Amino acid sequence: MVETAIPEVSPGIIIEPEEGSKSGLEPGFLVICWNDPVNFMDYVTHVFQQVFGWPRKKAEFHMLQVHEQGKSVLTRESMEKAEHYVHQLQRYSLHATMERDQ
Amino acid sequence: MNIVRTGDKFIFLAGAREKSLLLGLLKLYPRIPAAHRLKRAQQLPDSSQKLLDEALAEQRAENAKQIEAFLAEPARFEQTEAGWRFSLSRAELEWLLQILNDIRVGSWINLGSPDEKRAMRLNKETAPDFWAMEMAGALQMQMLEALKG
Repeated sequence: MVETAIPEVSPGIIIEPEEGSKSGLEPGFLVICWNDPVNFMDYVTHVFQQVFGWPRKKAEFHMLQVHEQGKSVLTRESMEKAEHYVHQLQRYSLHATMERDQ
Repeated sequence: MNIVRTGDKFIFLAGAREKSLLLGLLKLYPRIPAAHRLKRAQQLPDSSQKLLDEALAEQRAENAKQIEAFLAEPARFEQTEAGWRFSLSRAELEWLLQILNDIRVGSWINLGSPDEKRAMRLNKETAPDFWAMEMAGALQMQMLEALKG
């Protein structure tokens, strides 16, 4: 990811609300965004805000996770919803994939 | 190019060369090769992958049509004393951001997906992709600033 201004967000201080079902009966899919050296940090933050409707701080938290750790699990959803989110992220040319939650 | 936010609209004010640069960039869409896919292990059912590939292909075809319409609409650009003026809605600006990022990322892929800019070798062959990547990025940053408003 191309560095723009580093936002003042410390990874680890945001308590993430549970999203999606974690029920053992319903298989879940993880939506993952991968780092690349071409997308701007501001752009990735903006896309997360648009696609998930997140506040800027949460979007920056995940953007920094992508930047520093190479990837971020953005959400856990049903297959249909996960496909929807991956498609939305790919429309913005971000490297997004989904995989079955083990 | 100046971009000013006025309510729900974004007003662009561009010099003649900037306008021509923007239109020239848009003509490069789609830039990301259709066959390009992230080469990482995925545990995705074939049906899901096919669905995603089809949805993306449809989206790209729709975007290409929209760009043609955008370029064929001269009334969108109004010549003023200060330059060329045109306005975009919030949704149109989001769309333009996606288009410009496709051009930026596609140009980077054409350059061999280098990890760092200094690893890119600028020469006659790579210059068009380098130019497109940098110009699309500069416009994106201006648009993101306007969105922050």
